[in-house]
Amino acid sequence: MHPHEGWTEDRRGELISRRGFLKQSAVAGLAVGGASSLLAACSSGGSAKAPTASSSSGGIPLPRPNSPVTWPLYADNAAIASNLTPETGATLKLFNWVAYINPQCLTDFGKKYKCKVEVTTFENMDDALAKLTSGQHLGFDVFFPTIDVMDQLVYGKIIQPLNHSYIPNISQAWTDFTNPFYDGKWQYTVPYTIYTTGIAWRKDHVNENPYAMANPWAMPWQAKYKDKVAILDDARESISLGLMKNGIFNLNTTDPAQITAAGQQLQDLARLTNVHIDNNDYTEIPSGQIWIHHAWSGDIATAASYMPKGVNVDVVGYWFPPDGRGPVGNDTMTVLRGSPNPVLAHLFLNYMLDVNNVLTNISYNGYMQPINGITQQRLVAEQLLPPSLTSTVVLPSYFRRGVLELQIPTATNALWEQAWLQAKSA
Amino acid sequence: MAAGQERVGRARKRGGPNQHRLFWAALAAPGIIWLAVLFIVPFYAILAISGGQLNIFGNPLAQWNPLRWTGTNFTSAWHDVVGASAFVGPILLRTLWYVAAASLISLVIAYPAAYFVARFSGRRKALFLILLIAPFWISYMMRMLAWIDLLQTNGYVNKVLSSLHLIGQPVDWLGGLPVTVILGLVYGYIPYLILVLFAGLDRIDPALIEAGRDLGLGRVRTFVRVTLPMSRQPILTGMLITVLPMLGDYFTNQLLSGTTGTTMFGNVIDDQLTSGGGVLQGQGAVFSLLFLLVLTAPMIYYVVATNRSSRAAT
Repeated sequence: MHPHEGWTEDRRGELISRRGFLKQSAVAGLAVGGASSLLAACSSGGSAKAPTASSSSGGIPLPRPNSPVTWPLYADNAAIASNLTPETGATLKLFNWVAYINPQCLTDFGKKYKCKVEVTTFENMDDALAKLTSGQHLGFDVFFPTIDVMDQLVYGKIIQPLNHSYIPNISQAWTDFTNPFYDGKWQYTVPYTIYTTGIAWRKDHVNENPYAMANPWAMPWQAKYKDKVAILDDARESISLGLMKNGIFNLNTTDPAQITAAGQQLQDLARLTNVHIDNNDYTEIPSGQIWIHHAWSGDIATAASYMPKGVNVDVVGYWFPPDGRGPVGNDTMTVLRGSPNPVLAHLFLNYMLDVNNVLTNISYNGYMQPINGITQQRLVAEQLLPPSLTSTVVLPSYFRRGVLELQIPTATNALWEQAWLQAKSA
Repeated sequence: MAAGQERVGRARKRGGPNQHRLFWAALAAPGIIWLAVLFIVPFYAILAISGGQLNIFGNPLAQWNPLRWTGTNFTSAWHDVVGASAFVGPILLRTLWYVAAASLISLVIAYPAAYFVARFSGRRKALFLILLIAPFWISYMMRMLAWIDLLQTNGYVNKVLSSLHLIGQPVDWLGGLPVTVILGLVYGYIPYLILVLFAGLDRIDPALIEAGRDLGLGRVRTFVRVTLPMSRQPILTGMLITVLPMLGDYFTNQLLSGTTGTTMFGNVIDDQLTSGGGVLQGQGAVFSLLFLLVLTAPMIYYVVATNRSSRAAT
């Protein structure tokens, strides 16, 4: 199946990849209208156990691999009971990113559980949270958040705790995801997609091989490729690129000097190459419009679908540090607190953790899921991935060795965003 | 006198001056409500965001009470314009340059087109009017997206130029060329200008032009001495209607360039408003307000000029 079959959104949607939409908000927020209710929920009591993690300036815990967070549970937001019968004749409503789930999966789920499945999309996490906290009864069941908004979702009681008895496939998740640092004991989330961020390039136009370079993160900084270089339109990803070029791998740094220096690197890049800033890595590299693109693994994994006639996909390369010391990340699936069909919602989460359904989903959006059986060999054998792009495969070990872009304190986030704004305006 | 008293008497019979005032107020009500809901409230919301701060999650929080407004966002915005970390100055100049060029090109193209339709289209005037309005049937975004296909390196624009031997190699039109952005602005906003110019030129009494000719002026001098001065007001209106949105435009540059070298001021505001978690939304709100204030100047000039020409006409 074509990876992007079923895209029905407007043309603008085609210009921005799923990961592009997803990463537009590095630290998601709330709309003005929803903030007060959430803050009230945050300050109100609950039967909560105190979170165990370092905190931001506002006292909100910041989950880290070395400082995991088990989020509080609330008496008025309990998980559903076990052994309930799935809702019949229902319409399961998903609230998801644009083109981020294979419609075939939805059709198959609907047939299996005799229900309809509808998808409502959002463009970034800020918009999604604004809608969810607007006070309207939206009737959504399943939500696909990033891991950096867990505090808002839990304290705001926007999502409900999961009853794992409905989600046996959770046992199929990679060991690294059985007790993730951002949601201890998997109380509220199950993993969805995983990805790395690296460098994509056209081997037929670029002489350098990043695997042979002393500092491959510096690969875009080459004046001879002027007008043919692009970086991702994402503050966290691109400032991180500047940091890594400078040899700094703490991608959650709060050091203003490091952040400023990384931003300065991007300004230099702009002057040197007239750099493009977009998330069209999945089309621009295959088409040859761009020769070196800061890129997401899942986007490049679908390159074969976008190659011009007569051009072999082998000319596309994707570099990610072979030792796994690069940016890695993942997204999640949750059940919303006000879900009208919570049993079906749980079953849907379970369905999307089944290895066969995961493969169907990968065939559409290119992004892997951390489920046993999803391996490089399997993806190549199923012809979901060309052998020349196995470097886009995310390995379990990456989540131990890799560096993660996580939620950062408010003041630091402002520094990151300001540095990015200046780089974009260079 | 007697007739006047009779009119007053009838007015009293219908309910008197108070009811009259209510009647006119009721007529004005939809417009006032429209303004309040879609302008004053959003405007105050921008003010409230500008004067507000971030909440504990780092999201902007509107401060509705003006007594509690802080100057944090104004200070940050000021530092973007002036001082060691300032970066907005060159972008403002670039924006003005792009808009000036686009406006001039638009006027050069639009005026003859509008003049032709107003003066010489004859029985086909309705057809030409429909053709002028046709671009409005397709959204601005869709029209811009169409250009992306046309301007690709292997797109029709390069193919046509190559076939005419005007270019040796395909031009990377979407690679961050200022000319692409400027022509994009022209293409996007020129229908508004043509329509306004047409409306103005169509109202010029042909007898005045004929009078100029009868008094011995040639075609060119008639145009310069009669038509052009009478076109001043439509030109002013049309330029205002096109220049103001061009100044705030961010979408054209985003779609047709996407490089840092063509960033316009609208892009800066857009980037601030869409910053992660909205952490720079306050600064974006401040810039929006400042922009509004700056744009008020030509608007005031327009109102003054319009009033002046109205008085002159009477």
